[in-house]
Amino acid sequence: MVLEEADTGPGVAVLLPGAEHLSGDAEDAVFHTSVILATIDNTAGWCIRDHPDYAEGTSMATLDLRVDFVTPARLSETLRVRAVCEGFDGDIAFVRATAQTLKTKVLIATGQATFMLGTPDMPNLATPANALGGPVD
Amino acid sequence: MIKLAQAGRSAPSVALAQEQLNKMPYAAFLGVSLRVGPDGLETLTPDRADLIGNTNLPALHGGVVGSLLDITGMLTLVFLKALDRSPRLVDMDIDYLRSGQALPTHGRAEIVRAGRRMANVRARLWQDDPERPIAIGRLQFLFPKS
Repeated sequence: MVLEEADTGPGVAVLLPGAEHLSGDAEDAVFHTSVILATIDNTAGWCIRDHPDYAEGTSMATLDLRVDFVTPARLSETLRVRAVCEGFDGDIAFVRATAQTLKTKVLIATGQATFMLGTPDMPNLATPANALGGPVD
Repeated sequence: MIKLAQAGRSAPSVALAQEQLNKMPYAAFLGVSLRVGPDGLETLTPDRADLIGNTNLPALHGGVVGSLLDITGMLTLVFLKALDRSPRLVDMDIDYLRSGQALPTHGRAEIVRAGRRMANVRARLWQDDPERPIAIGRLQFLFPKS
C-alpha cells in the first residue's frame, strides 16, 4: 500500500493494489476482508498524524474498530482507502474511513475507529486549543 | 453471560477448516496455523518482526490483530458447521484490550448464534495468558449459498 501524496481530498488516502498474497480465497481472487480492515486501521492512524493538532512523536493505540464489508473487491482492482479524522480532543481521536475501487468508485467497505493518544511510556504531547480542561487523571 | 448456541447438527470438520486455511493466501502470509484439541479449534500465529506495527513499544499491528480475529472466526465457523465454501464476512467490530507483545498469538472463537443464513461469532486473541485477552471481536458471517 502507498500513501497517495498528490491526493487533494479530505483526510488521508492510501492506494492498495491487488496482489495474490492478499487473497481471501484462492479460487475467488477477491481481497481478503482482513486486508481491507488492516489498511483501514493503518490509514486511520496516518490521518490522525496528519491532523493539525497532532504533536509529532505522540504514540497512539486503537481502542476499537468497526468495519462494514459492503461489496467483495476483486484482486484486479486497486482500492483507495480514505480516512478522515472527525474529532480530536488531545486524548481521543475519532476516525471514519471508506474503501472504494479506484477507477469505478464502487464502495467496498466503511470503517469507524477510535484511538487513544499517548501511552505511559510515551505521554501525549498534544496541547490542542479545544482540549477540555486539565489532566484526566 | 451469554448462553452459547450449540454448534448445530453437522459434525465439526478439521479437514474442511484446514482446507479453508490452505486456500487463504493472506493467512499464509501472516503465518497462521490451526490445531484442534478437546476444547475446539485454536489458531496460532508466530511472533514475527514484520507483524509489529509500532517498533518502539513493540506492539503487534492493529491491522494484524483484526486480521487474526477475522481468520479465527471464519475458520471456527467452517470447522463447527463443516462448510465446504467460505462464509462471507459482512461486518466486524473489534475491541483492542491490550497492546500485543512480540509473542506468539493464540485465537479462539465461538458461535453465539447460527441461523439458516447468518452466523454471529465472537472471537478472542491472547498471548501468554488465556485469561488476559489482547482483543475481542464480534463478527457477522453470511453462509455461502448452497
